[in-house]
Formats: sequence, structure tokens, C-alpha cells
Amino acid sequence: MADPLASLPARPGPAVPVREPVFHVRGLARRYGEGEAAVTALAGVDLDLYAGELIVLLGASGSGKSTLLNQLGGLDSPSEGVLEYRGANLAAFGEAELTVFRRDAVGFVFQAYNLIPSLTARENVALITEICRAPMVPEEALALVGLADRMNHFPAQLSGGEQQRVAIARAIAKRPEVLLCDEPTGALDVRTGITVLEAVERINRELGTLAVIITHNAVMADMADRIFTLSDGRIVNVRANTRRAAARELKW
Amino acid sequence: MSHLDRKLLRDLRGLKSQALAVALVMACGLAMMITTRSLMLSLESTRDAYYEQHRFAEVFARLKRAPLAVRDQLAAIPGVAAVQTGISMQVTLDVPGLAEPAVGLLNSLPERGTPVLNRPYVRAGRLPAGRTAVSELAVSEAFADVHGLKPGATLAAILNGTKQTFRLSGIVLSPEFVFEAPPGSALPDNRTYGVFWMPYRELATAFQLYGAFNSVSISLAPGASEGEVVAAVDRVLAPYGGRGAYGRDNHPSNRRVDDEIRVLQGLSVAFPLVFLSVAAFMTNAVMSRQIALQREQIAMLKACGFSNRQVGFHYFKFSLVIVVAGVVFGIAAGVFLGRQLVDMYHLFFRFPELGFVLDTRVLVAAVIVSSLAAFVGVAGAVRRAVRLPPAEAMRPEAPASFRPALVERLGGARWFSPSFRMALRNIERRPIRSGLTCLALAMATGILIVPNSFRDGVAYVIDFQWDIVQRQTVTLTLVEPGPARALADFKHLPGVVHAEPFRYVPVEFRSGPVLRRLAVQGLPERGTLSRVIDASTVQISLPARGIVMSAKLAEILRIRPGDEVTVRVLEGREREVRVPIAALAEDFAGMAAYMELGALNRLMLDGDRISGAHVVVAKGRWPEFLDAVKNTPRIAGCVIKDAIREGFRKTTAESIGLLQKMYAMFATIVAFGIIYNSARISLSERARELATLRVLGFSRGEVGAVLVGELVVLTVAALPLGLVLGSGFAKGILAGVNTETVRLPLVLTPSNYAFAILVVATASALSALFAARKLAEINLVSALKALD
Repeated sequence: MADPLASLPARPGPAVPVREPVFHVRGLARRYGEGEAAVTALAGVDLDLYAGELIVLLGASGSGKSTLLNQLGGLDSPSEGVLEYRGANLAAFGEAELTVFRRDAVGFVFQAYNLIPSLTARENVALITEICRAPMVPEEALALVGLADRMNHFPAQLSGGEQQRVAIARAIAKRPEVLLCDEPTGALDVRTGITVLEAVERINRELGTLAVIITHNAVMADMADRIFTLSDGRIVNVRANTRRAAARELKW
Repeated sequence: MSHLDRKLLRDLRGLKSQALAVALVMACGLAMMITTRSLMLSLESTRDAYYEQHRFAEVFARLKRAPLAVRDQLAAIPGVAAVQTGISMQVTLDVPGLAEPAVGLLNSLPERGTPVLNRPYVRAGRLPAGRTAVSELAVSEAFADVHGLKPGATLAAILNGTKQTFRLSGIVLSPEFVFEAPPGSALPDNRTYGVFWMPYRELATAFQLYGAFNSVSISLAPGASEGEVVAAVDRVLAPYGGRGAYGRDNHPSNRRVDDEIRVLQGLSVAFPLVFLSVAAFMTNAVMSRQIALQREQIAMLKACGFSNRQVGFHYFKFSLVIVVAGVVFGIAAGVFLGRQLVDMYHLFFRFPELGFVLDTRVLVAAVIVSSLAAFVGVAGAVRRAVRLPPAEAMRPEAPASFRPALVERLGGARWFSPSFRMALRNIERRPIRSGLTCLALAMATGILIVPNSFRDGVAYVIDFQWDIVQRQTVTLTLVEPGPARALADFKHLPGVVHAEPFRYVPVEFRSGPVLRRLAVQGLPERGTLSRVIDASTVQISLPARGIVMSAKLAEILRIRPGDEVTVRVLEGREREVRVPIAALAEDFAGMAAYMELGALNRLMLDGDRISGAHVVVAKGRWPEFLDAVKNTPRIAGCVIKDAIREGFRKTTAESIGLLQKMYAMFATIVAFGIIYNSARISLSERARELATLRVLGFSRGEVGAVLVGELVVLTVAALPLGLVLGSGFAKGILAGVNTETVRLPLVLTPSNYAFAILVVATASALSALFAARKLAEINLVSALKALD
């Protein structure tokens, strides 16, 4: 599939030269199980993702978008195809290399937040900043998501939106090159969802982080640079927005 | 502290009662290991230092009499480093406050200087001086303690037919008499048997042995062969009535100390092993549950870049915290119990000082062993957790697949309520988990059986030894074996209703390379007082030919009835004969061999002789009888059965009682710990399901029945298995502590089983109650939302 971004003028800003993709994916396939019971989750995906972009992956449940996100994040390995991160072959990474990749390059935001209930907001962030190379201080990351005044609360004392923003702070505190968000607003109401998306948008804009958001909510496509639509493990549609909508303008 | 460790501490707070239960079980195992190992070290190091400082000899011999010049012949034997000759005589004592006569073993002290070997340790007062106006004696501490004797006290002894009064100069100990029991007895009898020391001149003169000796102790040069020296000593002493030399292995006191160490060694392995396996299982159960609960957290940690090793180590640290707690409790309890038990050893063993020495090597071993147990316990669960790809772990676990339980499939469904069916299906769905829980409950039951089987064993031994085997009131011993007509004299003592003769002959049994020295008892063919009993408590008729011996002795000599054994007679005319084994006798203290009295006398070739008699005395004439015995110089010893039985109850029974209480306490802790943990885990696993039932309209009682039902089924299945396991444990551990000097029979009583069942059932009931209380706390709404 042709790269739709190739014809567009490069956006200014990111430190990394635009022409060199962060992710270079060709013919990516992922099958689970063997023989008759085999399930194909991805059936030949091609895409290139660039630094500073905000990408939305749309698709129905079971379309393969989560599988694709897991591949990009080094949580799972492909069955076949090319999967390169900054020219390095992710598919050939071993467990130890994948761990380093996830530790230093990728920030994850999960639909279920996945905070450690026994740690406060600040400690949840600090848990990760302790193990990476050049992190922000946890307070700074929490300030970026607007939670500077709630950081000594335990997850159980925070609302869903606040918990998800802690999760974003946790993801960005390592200054990742890639921010991967799996249905980040799936469990939230509209207003809370928008504050969460604002946080993602801000990180993407201010830190030049490549952000990839999975959603089945088509409205969110308006805030993206490019939108990929998946169905049955393939990319069936790619479009680019000439103008990105601000998160707060979204309505659903 | 890293934030992962902070998470650990906070998670542990939520797990504290379960972690504590595991730590306590671990602590029980470690405490036993530390106690027993440290006691071994205490006994060994104290013994070795004592033997060394007080120059305990290595070869010993008794003889009729030899002139002092023979000493030089002994010293000239190659391999002999030092020789100490002396006189050792058994006499009758009249102790103030003691109705019956006591037996004293008088040992000579050299006229000048300290003994070369077997140097006494003076606890109080001083060693006896020679040529004083009133002759002096030093007394052994064990005897002095029982009778409250202090230096300066007086007591009378009959020396060679003459009653003489002595003053006690001091209280002493000797490496030769760490364990002080009458010859041939496995049990101490400090009331009627004491060891004394007096100057050579006085003792020798009284027995017309001046210028001679009748006992020898020898130390060996480095590298010397004990066997060769023993043989050479026997050759030198043969013309002087030598009764056969022997090494430390056959020295009664030394052997008893060795046996105790061997018992401790058995206990130090078997019990802790069982407890630590249980602790490993509990760790596994707790951690598996914890990891299952934290499935999503593990996935998040991995997605965020924590390596498998970091995640694995994090969960391993959970069990390390438990190990640390277990080790701390275990050491504290081990040291405390060790100190108590050391005090108990004063009942049996007399050392100048027997302090508790903590075995530091065992501490290291304890940490390693318990870490290993925890590691084994947690390794599987952690491996499963880190193996899970993070993407998969992020999703909640797929609902478990169920099917009707086996009993339902077999057509039993209609008899069960829906909640009981749920319990059955739940058990069947996870056969390994259910099996392990059942096994742990069975172990809890089994562990309870062991200590009480000790208690019942002791009670059995008391009844067996003194009701079935020995039915006399008193055993009287002559100074020297006398003619058979002496029996008539015994019968004429006031109050004697019945008397049966016996003869003791010291012999050496040899079978292949194995040697054992002990006394053969000659008894009437089918006596009514001192009886020979077989394993099924039937009296054995002593045959006209052949020997009956303890099953343990036969085991050591590796012979069976029908085989022949070589018997070397160590008294009178020394000779060797081959005697067939006629039957095996059952006994629990020491080892014995029996022959029909006439057969034994024929073997000895010295006519009809007896060493003494077992007699029954009429109750009303007891004082008169004792008075007569005290004033009969030919009677050297008078052993009152009830006094011995009482002594046994006070010492052995008390010490085993202490061990029994300690083990019973540990076993109860383990039983409670296992059951409590099972209930907690089961509650945690099913909180959601149970909350759902509540939401659907089940009452709290009905929901509780589902939870409790499972525990009840597992407990009921575990109990019979536990009784079988426990009987096996008891058998194994008793076999491990079964020595030549002390054995306990395997006695399993219904009350023992009932107690184990009661404890486990109570623990189950309390745990169930607790779980039911927790059930009330489940927040219905949050329980349903939790896993979205």
C-alpha cells in the first residue's frame, strides 16, 4: 500500500528528519494457534509512522487493531513480515531486547488504566521513572496531565479520568518516542474522555512524540494527522486530515 | 527503597495474616531444626571438651585382681599412651532418709596427685583426703542432688561385710559417669545407685586389695589401633581374671550420650523436612493466588519495560519476606526451646557445664533451606506469570470451563443441593490444586499423630516393662554369685511371699565383625516375676538349650532365630561357645539376653549359682523387710520396682513429654495455618462468584454454604489420608530415634486419632467461620466491577 504521507509536505517541528519513519511495516501478519484452529489477527499490514504524528487506528472489535498495537509496542512478535523500529528489525528482537525497547522507547496507555492499586499516583509514575534512562521527575509528568494536586492519592481515591491521566503521566514520564494508547477513553464519559485526549494531544504537540490511539469511536479521527481503518486484519482505508481538530472540539 | 519494593510492602500488608501463617509454619520447622541441631552441637562440643580436659580414657577393663606391677606390662603394650589402674567396688549404702539400701560404686583415687585419666571435676567441697579420723568420700552430683547431700554430710556403707561411716568431702563429676545408671540398666536410677570416690589406701585395705588393682583405664597413642590394644590388654589380664577390655563404643555412659546425639540427628531431619515441605506448599498456594490477582499488574509492568527477571524477583521477594519472618521466629523459638531442653538434659547427663550452644552453621542452613522451600514454592507461579505475553495478560482470564462433577455424572446429582454441586465441581475443575490442598490438610492431620504416638509409646513402655515383664516388688543382688541355696535365705527374709532366682553373667556376643557386651540373664524356665515376653506380649518359655535375646540385639548382630552366635564368657573361667538363638524378646530399654538358669550354669561350668533373686514382699511387712535387707551384708543391691518406675516417669517420660508438648504445639499451628490459608485463598478466588450469587438473591448463609462446602469436602477426604500419613510419619520417626539404649514402640491409639481429627475439624470450623465473616464484608457492587 502506498504511503499517503509521502505526497504531503513535511510538518515542521520534530527533531528527527521526517523522511525516516519511526516504524516501517511491510506485510505484517500475526496468526494464533495451529492448523484448523488457527486464527489470523493480522493479514499483511503495510504502514510507515513518523515522529510527531498523531495516528488513530479505527476498527470494529476483532479487526486486529489491538494486535497491531501490541506488535508496535513489542508486546508480541509477528508471524511474518517486516517490522522495523528506526531501521532495527523488531521481529528479530529477543525477550531482553524487547524489554529494553519497551522500557526506553514506548509508553503504553491501557483501557483499564492498569495502575498499581497499592501505590499512589506519584509512586505509580515513579515506579517507571526509576527504571528508564532520562525520565522526567514524576511531578513534572503529572503536572503535564493536570494532576499536580492529586499526586498523593491512591488509585481508588481517583476518578476514572484521573486514573487514566495518571496512566498517561506514567507512559510519558520516560519521554518515550512512541505513545501507544489502547482505547484510552473506552471506560470514560465524554467530558472525562476529552480531558484524557487533551493530555495525549499536548504530549504529542509539546514533546513531538509519535502517538497512536486505538478507538472504535470515529469522532476521534478528527484530531489525528492520519487515520487507518482496519477490518479483518487488514488496513482497508487510510486518510489524512488537512487540519487536526483540537480534542476539546470533539463531540460524541 | 524502590517503588516496586514499596508496592511489595503494601501488598504484603494485605496478605499479612496469610504470610504470617506461612511464616509460622516455616518457623516451626526451623525451630525444630535449630533446637535439635544446636542441642547436638551443645552435647558434642561439651562432651569433647570435657573428655579432653578431664582425660577420658579410650580403653577400659575390669578384672578380679592383679598386682600393681602388671601396670607396667599394660603400659608397655604398643599404642598405649597412659594407664590408670585402680579399684572399683560395688557396695551397699545406708543413705539417711532412704528406706531401702542403695548401691554405691566406689572408685579409688590415687594416693598422690590427680589421676592420669578420668579426672574428676569437683563441683563442691574437695576430693577426699586419706588418713583422716573419719574416712572421706566424694559423691557424684546426680546422687547428691536426689538426696540433698552436701559436703560434710555422713552416710554409711558396708565394705566387705563391715558397716563403716563416711563423711562427704565433696561433690564431683567424672567423664566416666556422664550418664550414671546401674550396670546393665538403660535408665538412670539416681535414688538407689550412686558413684563415689575415695582414696586408694582406704578402699584397697577394706577389700584386702592393697598393692593390687581391679580396674584399668587406658588412653591410646595417636594412630594406635583400639582393637589391637584391646586384644593385648585381654592377653595381659587373662591370668588375673580379666573380664574383657572394651573401647569407648562399649562404654555405657559414652554410648548413652552418643545415642542421644543420634536421636537428635533423626529428629533434626525428619520433622523439619515435613514442616518445610508444607511451608513450601503454602507459599506456592499464597503466591499463585497473589500472582493470579495481579495478572494485569504483571502485564503492565512488562509492557512498561520491566524485565522477566525483575518481575520474577519482585514476586520471589514476597516469599523472601516470609522466609525472613519465618527465620526470625524460628531462631527465637529454636533458641528458647533449646535452652529449655538443655535444662532437661541435666536429668540424664552430668557435665561440669552444659550450656546451650547455638549452631551458627544451622542458621545458615536454615536460611538456605527455607529460602529454597520458598523458592520452590513460588518458582512455578512466577514462571507462569512472566511467561504470559503481556498482551494476553492484559485481558482478564478466560472463564474457567466447568462440567458436572464425577459423582453427578454417575447419577448422584439429585441428592445434592446446587451449592454443594458448585463445591464439588469447583474441586474437580482444579484437581491438582484440590489434591494439594487435601494433601496439606492430610499432613496437618498426620503431623498431629506423631507427638501423641510418642506419649502413648511411653505409657505403653511403662505398663509393659513394669506390669507385664517385671512383676516382682524388689530385686535383690548378692555381692558375688553364690550357691543356689542362697535362694532359701531370700525366701526367709521377713515378708517375702515368693522368690525366683536369677544369674547375671557378663559375656561378649560376636557375630561376624559385630561385637556387643552385655549380661546374659539366667532365669527360671517359665518364671512368674521377671518374665521374657515376645512381640505379641506372650511369655516365652526359656528352652533348655539356646538363648533368647532382644530383637534389637539380634538386629545389631544380624542374626535370626535358628542362627548361632559366639558367646565369650567374661567371668570366671573364660571360654567361648556357640549358642543357637531360640527366640526373640520384645523390650524397649537397653538390650538383653536370656537363658534358662540351669542352661546358663551348665555353660559356666561352676555349679548351680545365682546372682540374686526377684522377690515379692507382703505390703504390711515392708519396713521390716527393708531393715533386714540393710543388715544383710551379702546383699549388695536392692532395686525397688516402683521406685524405678517412678524414676522413669519423672525423667524419660518428662523429657519425652516436653518434646511431645512442643511438637503437638507446632503441629497445631501447622494444622491451623494450612486450613486458614486454604479458606482465605478459596474466598479470594471466588469473591466475585459469591458476590454474584448474593446479587442474584442467595442469602448469606446459602453463599457461605458454597464456600464452606468445598472446605468440608476436602477436609473429610483429607482426614483418613491424614491418619494413614501420620501413622507412617510416626513409624518413620520412631525408627529414626530407635537406638540400642532407648526404643519406643509404635502405639497408635483411637484417642490419638480422635485428637488429630478434633484439632483439624476445629481449625476448619474456625477458618470457615472466619471466611463466612469475610463474606459479609464483600462489597457486592465493587466485587462485580473489579475485573472489568
